[in-house]
Amino acid sequence: MVSDILSRALIACLCVFTLALASARAQDAADLAKVELLAEPAAIAPGEPFTVGIKLSMKEHWHTYWRNPGDSGEPTRVTWKLPRRFAAGDLQWPTPSLIRVGPAANFGYEGETILLARVTPPRDLKSGTTANLAADVAYLVCEKICIPGEASVSLSLPVSEAGASSPGNAVFDAARSKLPQTSPWNATFSADARAITLSLRSDALRGDTIRSATFFPHDNTLIDNAAPQVLRTEGQTTLVTIERSQIAKSMPPRIDGVLLLEEDIGGKTVPHAFAIEATPSAAFAAGEGGMNLFYAVISALLAGVILNFMPCVFPVLSIKILHLTEHRAETPRRVRLHGMAYALGIIASFTILAGVLQALRAGGAEIGWGFQLQSPLMVAALAFVLFALGLSLSGILTIGTSLTRVGDSRLLQRDGLSGSFFAGVLATVVATPCTAPFMGASIGFALVQPFAVGLMVFLALGLGLALPFMALAFAPGLQRLLPRPGRWMETLKQFLAFPVYATVAWLIWVLSFQVSPSGLLGALAALVLIAFAAWAFNLSLGLSNVSARAAKGMAAASIAGVVALVLVIDLNRLAGANVESAASKVPSEAFSQQKLDALLASGQPVFVNMTAAWCITCLVNERTALSTGAVREALAGKRIAYLKGDWTNRNPEITRLLEKFGRSGVPLYVLYRSGSEPVILPQILTQSLVLDALKQI
Amino acid sequence: MNRRAFTTMFASSAAILLLATAPSQAEPKVGAPAPAFSAVNSEGKTVKLSDFSGKTIVLEWTNDGCPYVRKHYGSGNMQALQKKWTDQGIVWLSVISSPPGEEGFADGARANSLTVERKASPTAVLLDPKQQVARAYGATVTPHMYIIKPDGTLAYAGGIDDKPTTRPADVKDAKNFVDAALAELKAGKPVSTPATRAYGCTVKYSS
Repeated sequence: MVSDILSRALIACLCVFTLALASARAQDAADLAKVELLAEPAAIAPGEPFTVGIKLSMKEHWHTYWRNPGDSGEPTRVTWKLPRRFAAGDLQWPTPSLIRVGPAANFGYEGETILLARVTPPRDLKSGTTANLAADVAYLVCEKICIPGEASVSLSLPVSEAGASSPGNAVFDAARSKLPQTSPWNATFSADARAITLSLRSDALRGDTIRSATFFPHDNTLIDNAAPQVLRTEGQTTLVTIERSQIAKSMPPRIDGVLLLEEDIGGKTVPHAFAIEATPSAAFAAGEGGMNLFYAVISALLAGVILNFMPCVFPVLSIKILHLTEHRAETPRRVRLHGMAYALGIIASFTILAGVLQALRAGGAEIGWGFQLQSPLMVAALAFVLFALGLSLSGILTIGTSLTRVGDSRLLQRDGLSGSFFAGVLATVVATPCTAPFMGASIGFALVQPFAVGLMVFLALGLGLALPFMALAFAPGLQRLLPRPGRWMETLKQFLAFPVYATVAWLIWVLSFQVSPSGLLGALAALVLIAFAAWAFNLSLGLSNVSARAAKGMAAASIAGVVALVLVIDLNRLAGANVESAASKVPSEAFSQQKLDALLASGQPVFVNMTAAWCITCLVNERTALSTGAVREALAGKRIAYLKGDWTNRNPEITRLLEKFGRSGVPLYVLYRSGSEPVILPQILTQSLVLDALKQI
Repeated sequence: MNRRAFTTMFASSAAILLLATAPSQAEPKVGAPAPAFSAVNSEGKTVKLSDFSGKTIVLEWTNDGCPYVRKHYGSGNMQALQKKWTDQGIVWLSVISSPPGEEGFADGARANSLTVERKASPTAVLLDPKQQVARAYGATVTPHMYIIKPDGTLAYAGGIDDKPTTRPADVKDAKNFVDAALAELKAGKPVSTPATRAYGCTVKYSS
């Protein structure tokens, strides 16, 4: 009897238990993830795009997935069911979180997330009607187990001509703030068999403020999702090393994804996510492109030979050949020595150039061949040297490497071997503004190799440059082919001045992009002074003592003038992108304590923004909260002065102000109002926060 | 170089070095010898990898509650695959790695009844409630498929096909990687797709 009841009770319990288990198992995905369709505006204006959002609210501990779900799971899929001729853009995915499940890693969302999309209604939509927007959402919601779900959501919006100008939908603003930002930095990648390394290069990025980095690729097959990612900095480059998965056999042409950086801001760690589109780095591309040392050396050699015929180098080479013509009386051995001295001059100069280039790159500078042309001072200096050479060829100036006077077989003192050596140095110097075919690829290869290997390529280039003259010097047969000296040499020499002047003109054109018109004027004035100095010096050679000194004095004074003008050029550099021009459309003035005091004394409210180019949070705040039209209007409407302090290179005035507010770093946002205490805004801004603060004035 | 930068560089270099030398917990490499294992099958017998040396072995991680596994069993896809290839002499081992209390857990009796219910024909069903075999192979989801060549090296690791959904209708048009790999191995050809992203429900690791 008792056993009967007991067994029945047991069975009943079991049934209930199983039922409970079954129903829990058949737990509706709808309970675990609620799906809603939201629209940002209250009404649609015909033809005006608006934003909608698919909101997924997950039960605690449950999650849905990002576009790349990671080791397991499935991304949420949205099929739009919109009225005819409505077009929906791609889904905009908020930055995912890394969700670890045992040894595996997923990318998804816990709590709640909103997937945004832009919808464009047709222009001829009739006002007064109602548009029914709908979507079928298929998702996978998981905790330890996974339950696939499907939901159909819909929303009706009225259509009105004016649309709805809701000043700001907080929900959508918050959702947008969770989207990854466009990356302000150049991202490249390289890879070996084991890992991919993402590099972010920027003058402004400072490695020591970044606490951690996590990269979420769009491609599911690319990386080992669970493996830790290593962050390190090398000078101005931030590197993230990520282990590869064994699935992707070869690297794709581009790596897209989201990079989540955590930045230290005054003791707090603030996350920022950026949309990354990384291209292969030069080194990686070169490696992939099959360029190897042998090929690089050969092309450098060829490039060197071709360089001889470029307008920069051709005059120098021709002068050397004419020199050779003139001195055909010399012993063959001496001629060969001249050839070798010339080659030595070239090779020594190339070695130094390569060394300087590698040293600068090792120090973190983002430069390549032609780096010298990125500095306006170098460009100007090259222009001056070439101009002097041209003047020498034209006969206004006589210097050691020029020919002796026509018909005069007397050798100038400086026509010794050292003359040939310096001719080689000159040839290298004037070769730098020019490029030749084959040069680019071989030098690009050389720069990413270890120094010794890269040097070989540069030496090959130098050898190529020296080759034609050396060939001539070592082949008496060729020398015999040279025409006999005569009047034509002087004419040719003067003619050769013109390719040199053409190069000078080109260099001035390059300079025009690097300095302001005043700086350019300085350079042109310097050229005039050089010409004057050359004439004065030359004059002094033919004059007697006192007059000679006077003429030389004038020459010296002109050179001094040139040096002064170089300073003028330097001061007139055109600034590259800086904190000011980068993102801000809101007019601001540069901060100075004096300006602040003056404005406060006059009773005007002031908004102070202390920022730095290397501060990521500052950058993000700038873009999302401070550069918007609404902020601009608020500042203008209330006549609030906007002062921006750039702390990129430390500024003692700014430091003092920061200390006054108990801060040691940026960002700092202070709103000064007359008659009350200054208000300090939080370090992480949103547009509504800023507008609210400004509204109180 | 200031001290701080030096310390950072040193620390990160050390970290990189450690990372490079640390044994990876990720999947075993295709082409490398397959990890050895020893597990109890649904009949209570201990089964080792070496018991099947000289034969082609398929490892199939399964969890009967997982919608992805149900997609393949419900449509008869998995059973057909098992029958086709066990008939040709390969060894098919289904592995159940769910711990007690989690979805998919089965003891010997339940495993056998599942096999009968589903009309499956694996050579054996291995019980791995402590996820030891799963860890050795880096199995992340169910179904996760591995193929081991007669010489003991791993020939395939990854998903069953290229349609990572729970919809049974997707089975028909999907490219079945396991079937293709086994056919290539039979013909003596190298496996053209040796690694793919496996999809499914996560293996219920208890730690």
